[in-house]
Amino acid sequence: MAWLMKSKLMLNFISVALSLFTTILIVVLLLLIIGKNPVEIFSLVLSEIFGSGYGIGQVLFKATPLIICGCGIAVCFHASLFNIGAEGQLNAGSFAIALSAYYFGFLPFPILIICCTLAGFIVSGIFGLIPALIKIKKDVSEVITTIMLNFIILALINYFLVEFFAVKATMRTEKINDDDFLFKLSDYIPFFQGSSVNASFFIALAISVIFYLLIYKTTFGYKLRAVGFNQTASKYIGINTGKILLLSFFIGAGITSLVGLNYIFGYKGYYELGFSNNLGFTAIAVSLLAKNNPIGIILSSLLFAILDYGGLSVNQLVPKEIMLLIQGIIILSLLSIDKAVKIYFERKGMA
Amino acid sequence: MDLISSILSITFLTQVFRMMTPYYFGANGANFSERGGVINISIEGFMNLSAFSFAMFGIISGNIFFSLLIAITINLIFSILFSWFTVKLKINQIIAGVGFNLFIAGLTKFLLMLIFGSSSNTHRFEGISDIDIFKKIPIIGGIVSDPLTLFCILLVFVSNFILYKTRFGLRLRSAGENPEAADTLGVRVRQYKFYGIMLSGILSALGGIWLASNQNSYSEGMIAGRGYIALAAMIIGKWKPVNIFFACLMFSAFEALEITLQISGTNIPTQLIQMLPYLITILVLIGFIGKTRPPAADGEAY
Repeated sequence: MAWLMKSKLMLNFISVALSLFTTILIVVLLLLIIGKNPVEIFSLVLSEIFGSGYGIGQVLFKATPLIICGCGIAVCFHASLFNIGAEGQLNAGSFAIALSAYYFGFLPFPILIICCTLAGFIVSGIFGLIPALIKIKKDVSEVITTIMLNFIILALINYFLVEFFAVKATMRTEKINDDDFLFKLSDYIPFFQGSSVNASFFIALAISVIFYLLIYKTTFGYKLRAVGFNQTASKYIGINTGKILLLSFFIGAGITSLVGLNYIFGYKGYYELGFSNNLGFTAIAVSLLAKNNPIGIILSSLLFAILDYGGLSVNQLVPKEIMLLIQGIIILSLLSIDKAVKIYFERKGMA
Repeated sequence: MDLISSILSITFLTQVFRMMTPYYFGANGANFSERGGVINISIEGFMNLSAFSFAMFGIISGNIFFSLLIAITINLIFSILFSWFTVKLKINQIIAGVGFNLFIAGLTKFLLMLIFGSSSNTHRFEGISDIDIFKKIPIIGGIVSDPLTLFCILLVFVSNFILYKTRFGLRLRSAGENPEAADTLGVRVRQYKFYGIMLSGILSALGGIWLASNQNSYSEGMIAGRGYIALAAMIIGKWKPVNIFFACLMFSAFEALEITLQISGTNIPTQLIQMLPYLITILVLIGFIGKTRPPAADGEAY
């Protein structure tokens, strides 16, 4: 068995490396076509990011929500569930976090943040339970229901904001107390001076550790992967597949809500409609690139964060939107090359 | 009373038919793909792409027919790429769809900035104009005079005929229902899946083109989930061209109602009307309202 694991890991490594290489090639070509100097642009990105503590801090800050949301989506992926609804779930959860943080602002900080985390987790989780329940009871694919729920949730939040909770003439909730913020890394490490990276980066790392333990080291994780691998077989060996599907959707959706901790407790102090900016979809790409592996998720989140921040630093030379395009190229080349590599090695009889 | 009379007016009906156009192109396109057994959730992206390329080439060349052809061709290329991913390489269709949506969103944002120097919209151009002759026809002419809308209504009958009365339709459906059996009988299953996806690319292109033409420009995020509503209409329409048409009419009626409510300034919250299409879709899927069943081998690689 050990050699198989090794060869699978090897295959994954080969395909990820190849697709990143292809992406760079395509991007260089693209830059040449539009008449820019690729060397100049690449070196500018690198120097802006790694030349200062601020750059590194911003990358960590942008990686934080991707790590959290990527882990949440990966939980579902391990059970072979396609959670396209992370965008809606994380908005619902973050909205709940912001509201409870404001209305329970009188609580001492440690208790407050625990309560808010729970509130967000449960609200997101419940919205995750809906597609799971429909899947189990009515055998309807979770893909369509999660897509539809995205729109329903965003419309509901919009409604509640406008009618009840929004600060006048804005689409955001009331700001939380000033002393309820998580500490910024720059408070303790002057190296990160000015950047927004905060304690929730450690929360993100903790989540990826918990994710690893949950999926690979517990009976539940074993069952979850078994269901993901072959649902029918799992049923016959006595796994309660329905329960596993429900739980994995609840946990997966719940985790995605915690991106709100970064934005609300670590950055702005309130929930704002549209803050997620398609994070729920980008995180799907992150999770795919990482092959649902926790260390991979951290690395691919960092890559996507570098692209995100790198875009801002080259905006003078080339539109920063090029980084969105690069993210798209990465995901498409990964999907195709990954499959092509597998087919190639299968033909050779090596895997 | 004001509200009711404005809903019962001819203008409202005209609006419903007009707004139905992008939904039906998207939904009908998705249907051809799903009938061949390929779930295409990148309809949203395809519509976005064609809206952008139509606007871009329309502004650059100044010739509507030229830009129409180019926009359709670009979508055709992308749908061939999509079928290469899903049919040839057998990559999971949902994941490929999400990937294409992300890629196209990035591509259009980048090109919008690069070419037009704006992160929100292109400048204005002259869209496809109404056909004057049709306006002279009593009753119908007052409601439908947009050539794409007219084509859309024609498409209901054409698609129904293609799917149920031609050899092509039968083979396409067999690829989506039981590919093994079809293969045994000598149907080139993968080829038909290719055709289905290509049709979805072409038709969704028309949807995007209509949106850009109707607005006389392209703006970032203008598709605003219409591709997903199209998928919803396809599901509610039970994968049948005629039923899908009525589902699209229902959704466009919601949209027209929403606009009418906003203008009339009543205190009925429009957000709740906005979410109705999605809510109804889920209810239909659960089986509260009617029964619906996808093609048997939908979403499976062959």
